[in-house]
Amino acid sequence: MPQLNTDSIKERTFDAIVIGSGISGGWSAKELTEQGIKTLLLERGRDVKHIEDYPTTNKLPYEFDHRGEVPLEIREKAPIVSRCYAFREDTMHFFLKDKEHEYIQEKPFDWIRGYQVGGKSLIWARQTQRWSDLDFEGPKRDGFVVDWPIRYADIAPWYSHVEKFAGICGNKDGLKELPDGEFLPSYPLNAIEDHFREQVSKKYKGRYVIRARAAHISKPEPIHLEQGRGQCQNRTLCQRGCPFGGYFSSNASTIPWAMKTGNLTLRPFSVVHSIIYDEQKGRATGVRVIDTNTKEEIEYFAKVIFVNASALNTNLVLLNSTSRRFPNGLGNDSGLLGKYVAFHHYGGRVSARYEGELDKFRTDGRNPAGCYIPRFRNVYRQETDFLRGYAAGFSASRGFYSDTAPIGEQLKENLINRKLGGWHIGSHMMGETIPKESNYVKLDPGKKDEWGVPLLRVNVDFDNNDEKMLRDYFDQFSEMYAEAGFTDIKTSRTENPPGLDIHEMGGVRMGHDPKTSLLNKWNQLHACKNVFVTDGACMTSTSTQNPSLTYMAFSARSANYAIDQMKKGNL
Amino acid sequence: MQRRTVIKNFVIMAGGIALLPSCSGDRKKASILLKNLNTSAEQEALLAEIAETILPGTDAPGAKSMNLHLFTMKMVDDCHTAEEQKLFTKGLNKIDQMAEDKYGASFAKCTPEQRKELLVQVAEDKDVPKEAAAFLRITKQRVIQGFTNSKYVMTDLKQYEMVPGRYNGYFPVEKN
Repeated sequence: MPQLNTDSIKERTFDAIVIGSGISGGWSAKELTEQGIKTLLLERGRDVKHIEDYPTTNKLPYEFDHRGEVPLEIREKAPIVSRCYAFREDTMHFFLKDKEHEYIQEKPFDWIRGYQVGGKSLIWARQTQRWSDLDFEGPKRDGFVVDWPIRYADIAPWYSHVEKFAGICGNKDGLKELPDGEFLPSYPLNAIEDHFREQVSKKYKGRYVIRARAAHISKPEPIHLEQGRGQCQNRTLCQRGCPFGGYFSSNASTIPWAMKTGNLTLRPFSVVHSIIYDEQKGRATGVRVIDTNTKEEIEYFAKVIFVNASALNTNLVLLNSTSRRFPNGLGNDSGLLGKYVAFHHYGGRVSARYEGELDKFRTDGRNPAGCYIPRFRNVYRQETDFLRGYAAGFSASRGFYSDTAPIGEQLKENLINRKLGGWHIGSHMMGETIPKESNYVKLDPGKKDEWGVPLLRVNVDFDNNDEKMLRDYFDQFSEMYAEAGFTDIKTSRTENPPGLDIHEMGGVRMGHDPKTSLLNKWNQLHACKNVFVTDGACMTSTSTQNPSLTYMAFSARSANYAIDQMKKGNL
Repeated sequence: MQRRTVIKNFVIMAGGIALLPSCSGDRKKASILLKNLNTSAEQEALLAEIAETILPGTDAPGAKSMNLHLFTMKMVDDCHTAEEQKLFTKGLNKIDQMAEDKYGASFAKCTPEQRKELLVQVAEDKDVPKEAAAFLRITKQRVIQGFTNSKYVMTDLKQYEMVPGRYNGYFPVEKN
């Protein structure tokens, strides 16, 4: 029997454990396995294999029972996820329904989750903008939170590393506030987008309209073909999973790549209850997993643990990892674990119409990437009555319409012979929110989920800085639209609670000082060096860029650092 | 007979989607399986005539032959609130009653001109019972949706492209 027991422990021992198979966990696993590190990749949800587990990917709109609409019964049972723009009949199997993992909202917070292999990388919006030093130096310059322990130069090579592999399309725009990367050809702007770009650059110094950089293979390189991925076919049905592997997801890219090394063990249906801390050794030795099918608790062991469970779930795992040494959560000497959670402010939209010379053009085919307007407020110095600023998505489109007022043959005639509509212009803000101690997550002292893990209490809200920023966005964009000759300019508040941006960040922030931060410049817990956090939880501040690319770069950078330290015998 | 063929024969195609037939065998009941609506065979027949009036068969197929009345019932059953479902059923009956009051004949027995005239009046929503207006709003929306999202319109008439494989932001309008 003792022999059997030893064998069992051996079977459950790896070099590294990665918790979570989403966009950041996939990268951790890829980098580790590629260099010979035996890695266990844990995923709480089911497996989703590239292509074969995309049940709706090739369905025509009329092959859906409700033509894409989510039936009322599902919406009523899951009101939170139903508010997400991407939750549709064709994609809903990749979203967690509210009741499947409950949490407590001290203030309204829409927590959108994808519990499956690949996580939210299957259903993300694929926008990939780099940070610059203007972002990393923000907290220090403006005196909020703590200084980032890294600068652009530390992460730039890792941005390049992940961009080349993932496949990012974009233009080299030469902007200091949005550094260029390793780009595949960009999708050209359309007539109205170009017009707006010209008008804005003519009339505003320091404001730029560019094509957003996006994780689409506009033209495959050998490294993409080697992954079995091909050119994006402009379907824009991405959230169903792409049969061409045209956009980046863990499922299409990092996980199969890691699997090919022979060093990856993927274990779906595995909720991580907590990380095991060994008081004698002074380090984490493994994780406690609950098998969601059998409810059995199983321990796995490794030298190094990467926590990539998604921002709030990473907080949850660490808060629930208590020991004599860490009674308030793993690495939580500062008492700040779970605090300074922030998000992106998606509170406003500005729409308009265009009529004029450019009506001689329309678009043909579909465009997988919109336009991006990098932050232009407070970029080099403080100049407004609010801190930081906002970036914005922007696009112009022109579709067909039918007059549906008549009844009878005329109506049918109108539906069959559609008319070309006018140009419609839209934009949405993506504002930086200032992390605060009062925006936090913590464990509920009593209530537990079906796996015995405490429920998370979420207390995250907007503040006055966000409101001022929203008004400025309305003012500036209305003015820019008017300057460009757009008409029928309308501002609208989205009135959504935080969370629906799906850019929640922080709670396990990076910093120089263990007294005021949880992670060091290598994303290691200051107080437990063999635990790395490289998902959204590590973010000290949020800036305005869509954050996934930065998580990917952090994951690759930290994994390579961990490998190096393991080789040197330091981990 | 192949198993697949058997199954195919047992579902009802409505604008491209397969609906499960009602298994009650009750000829007075609707022909498709419904969870919330309690629609009779008679009401279903009436709805078919109303849908056909909204989108009549011409050179191109009409609402009835595309089973858009069944699609409408399915959507109302699954995607509308209990309140809207109630208005839908009440409004459907009301249309028949309005036809009786106005033309002295049930909707089905009215001439195509009379049917259209009645629906135009309801659509304009002037001095029309609330449930009739609500019914027509829902039905028209769903019939249009079923038609524009059908295989006929999307694939045969090429209004939808699954895999464009291209994007041109300066496509000249003249080329339409």
